[in-house]
Amino acid sequence: MLNENTLSKNDVTDLITAYAGAERVPKKFKVITDTSDFFKVEYNDVVLLAGIPFWIKRYEMEGRFGIDDQPKYWVRRAIDLRDGTTKILKLVFHEKFDTTIGDIVIKCFRSPKKEARILELVADHDHFMHGTWILDTAGNIVRVLDFIYGRNFDQLIVELGHDHHDYFFNHFPDLLDRYIDLVIAIKFLHDHGEKHGDIRRDHIILDRERQIYRWIDFDYNFMHGESMFGFDLHGLGNILTFLVGRGDVLVPDLHQNQRPLFDSLWGEDLNISYKNRVANLRKIYPYIPESLNRVLLHFSQGAKIFYETTDQMLNDLATAKIDVAKQAGRI
Amino acid sequence: MSKGSFSDVARRDSERHLLAAVDESENSRRTIIYLADFFGDYQDIFITLLSILPEPSEDYFATEDERQKWLTEQTAHITNKLAEYRAILVDAGFSEKQIDVRLVVRQCASIGDAILEEQDKLRCCIVAVGRRGLSHNAEFILGSTSSKILHHAKHCAVLVVE
Repeated sequence: MLNENTLSKNDVTDLITAYAGAERVPKKFKVITDTSDFFKVEYNDVVLLAGIPFWIKRYEMEGRFGIDDQPKYWVRRAIDLRDGTTKILKLVFHEKFDTTIGDIVIKCFRSPKKEARILELVADHDHFMHGTWILDTAGNIVRVLDFIYGRNFDQLIVELGHDHHDYFFNHFPDLLDRYIDLVIAIKFLHDHGEKHGDIRRDHIILDRERQIYRWIDFDYNFMHGESMFGFDLHGLGNILTFLVGRGDVLVPDLHQNQRPLFDSLWGEDLNISYKNRVANLRKIYPYIPESLNRVLLHFSQGAKIFYETTDQMLNDLATAKIDVAKQAGRI
Repeated sequence: MSKGSFSDVARRDSERHLLAAVDESENSRRTIIYLADFFGDYQDIFITLLSILPEPSEDYFATEDERQKWLTEQTAHITNKLAEYRAILVDAGFSEKQIDVRLVVRQCASIGDAILEEQDKLRCCIVAVGRRGLSHNAEFILGSTSSKILHHAKHCAVLVVE
């Protein structure tokens, strides 16, 4: 077993040569055992964690809400030089920031401890990313994640079907089953007293190899209010609305392109947090079963009661699933 | 129940014991002022000022020192508030022996549940809380402690002060 006491720079060079060939050994690189200053971890450096050499490659990117391809400097793609597998190294970044959802501000934190704990919890769970964590020489909790080859959930949905009707009858029933599996996975976290913390559609990846959807990125945490899981449920609702609508159904689009539908809308039909999105999708697509639309209405401005637990939501989804299958002629 | 007066333990069963669940917010202050105005002249009411300080998990802090510092600051802050609330009640006619102050620092998934646990222990006949007046959106995402108490309280009346 290699360890940081015995692994010299020459050893590391040999490992890179064995993996990539002598011509690809970088002329200059550092061997890093303390990742506290993640900006110092540069392309082609080798991070040595408990004797395991990771050859650092590109930054990971995050692009949404108008901030395209924003680099996450603390998240690096890397090659495990022992076996050539691709990993994601998440270095410690104690970021604190405010997230605004509609009219409320939530104080969020990145917590390496939380993500490390959940990685252990979900080690045998198919619907989560997998990985481990290792302390560097400065005691930083570095998460070493298995790379998932595949595309984001939201990219896939909008490509299915030639129109909404085709999508809803021919693709949606299967997708609803998969979505329910994802909600059950979140229930697993909640049942163990953990939140996901950042439920959004680009945090679900369709694992190309295993053909299952998997949750990623659970290092967010926040000081929750009375409802410990309200933020997670809010995220699940937004994803379901996106899924049922084959993308977000936006009020400005209806105003411009489908004026009669726009005129049929009331404030209560809109998303509880995002007032430019329609939640009452049965008004737009009348073939959506009422039972499914009722679930969506829990996330509308007109909602009288809210889901407090995934169990409540899953109960309603079970009914909706039957009605969707019947409507699609599957039962 | 005044400290040291063990002879009146039996009074506990018949005492009109009011639990005021408060934090440092303006709506808590309004609740205390309301209680002071409404019950200030009643000599047979005992009031417990309760504050639950939810202890954050270690996740929220980079180091244990940071966590301890946060707890010390928050504890001092809420202790001062509780003293302020006690003074409001005394000014309104409550005697010192009619008031108890309880600060509970604990990890809890729900402050509402934690308040109701204290109510159950103390057998208070009224729980008084303020309402923040959350928006629809905020009530969904953050949850409402007063709604939780309203829906889950047992064996007591609930007084929600707007």
